[in-house]
Amino acid sequence: MSEDLQKKLQSELTSFKTVQKELQKAISTRQQLDGQLNENEIVKTELNILPADGKVFKSVGPVLIKTELVEAKENVSKRIDYINKELNKVDGLIGTLEKKQDAHRESLQKYQQQLQQAQVKAALHS
Amino acid sequence: MAQISATEQPHMKQIDLATLNIQQLGTLKQQLDQELDLFQESLQSLKMAQQKFQTSNETLQNFDADSEGKDILVPLTGSMYVPGKLIETSNVIIDIGTRYYVEKDIPMAKDYFQRKTKFVTEQMEKIQYLGLEKSKIRDAIVEIIQLKLNQQQQG
Repeated sequence: MSEDLQKKLQSELTSFKTVQKELQKAISTRQQLDGQLNENEIVKTELNILPADGKVFKSVGPVLIKTELVEAKENVSKRIDYINKELNKVDGLIGTLEKKQDAHRESLQKYQQQLQQAQVKAALHS
Repeated sequence: MAQISATEQPHMKQIDLATLNIQQLGTLKQQLDQELDLFQESLQSLKMAQQKFQTSNETLQNFDADSEGKDILVPLTGSMYVPGKLIETSNVIIDIGTRYYVEKDIPMAKDYFQRKTKFVTEQMEKIQYLGLEKSKIRDAIVEIIQLKLNQQQQG
C-alpha cells in the first residue's frame, strides 16, 4: 500500500517539476516579449515626434542605411502587432500551465497526507 | 523600460495575512523576496540608462554649430583611434532603439535626452516606491510567521 503510494507520489512530483520548468520558461518568454513591446512602443513614439522629412536610419550590421520615415513607422507597427499576438499566446500558455501546476500540487498534498496516515497506521500495528 | 503602474489593479483581492497558514505565508514571502530582487536589478539597469542619457545630454551642452572643423579622435576599436575633423555639427544621429537611428538638430537632441532622463528617473521613483511598499508587506509577513511559530510551540 505505502509503496504504491510512494510511487504515485514520485511520479506526481516529477510531472509537477516538469510543469514548473515549462511555466518558468513561458514566464521568461513573456518578460522578453514585454520588453520588446516596450522598446518598440518607445521607438514608435519617437518616430511620431519626427517631422515628415526627418531622416531615419536602420542599422544593418556595421552600417546605417537610410530608410523612409513612413516605412520605418509601418515596420514598427507591424512588429508591435506581431509581439502583441505572441504575448496573447504566451499568456494563454501561462494560464494553462498554472492550472496544471495547481492540480499537481493538490494531488501531491493529497498523496503526502495519505502516505503519512499509512505510516502512522503501520507504526500502530507493529 | 516598462511602464510601471503604482495604482492598485481592480482584480486584486485584499487578503487578511492572519488567515493564511505558515506554508502559504512562506510562499508569499518567497514571492515577495523574488520581486524585491527583481526591483533591485531593474533599478540598476535604469540607473545605467539614466547615466547614459545624462552623459549624452552633457556632451551636447558643449557641442554646437561652432564645433565644426574641430579635431576629434575617432575610435576604430575600443583601443585604436584615428584623427578626424567634425563636420555638419548642427545635427546628430541618435539611437532610438530596435536598431533605428534618427537625425536630430542640437536643440531637438537635447530635448530628446532630457525627456529620456526624465522618463527613466520617473520609472526609478515608481520602483523605489513599490519596493518600499513590498518590503513593508514582507516585514509584516515575517512578523506573522514568527507569531504563528510561537503560538505553535506554546500550543
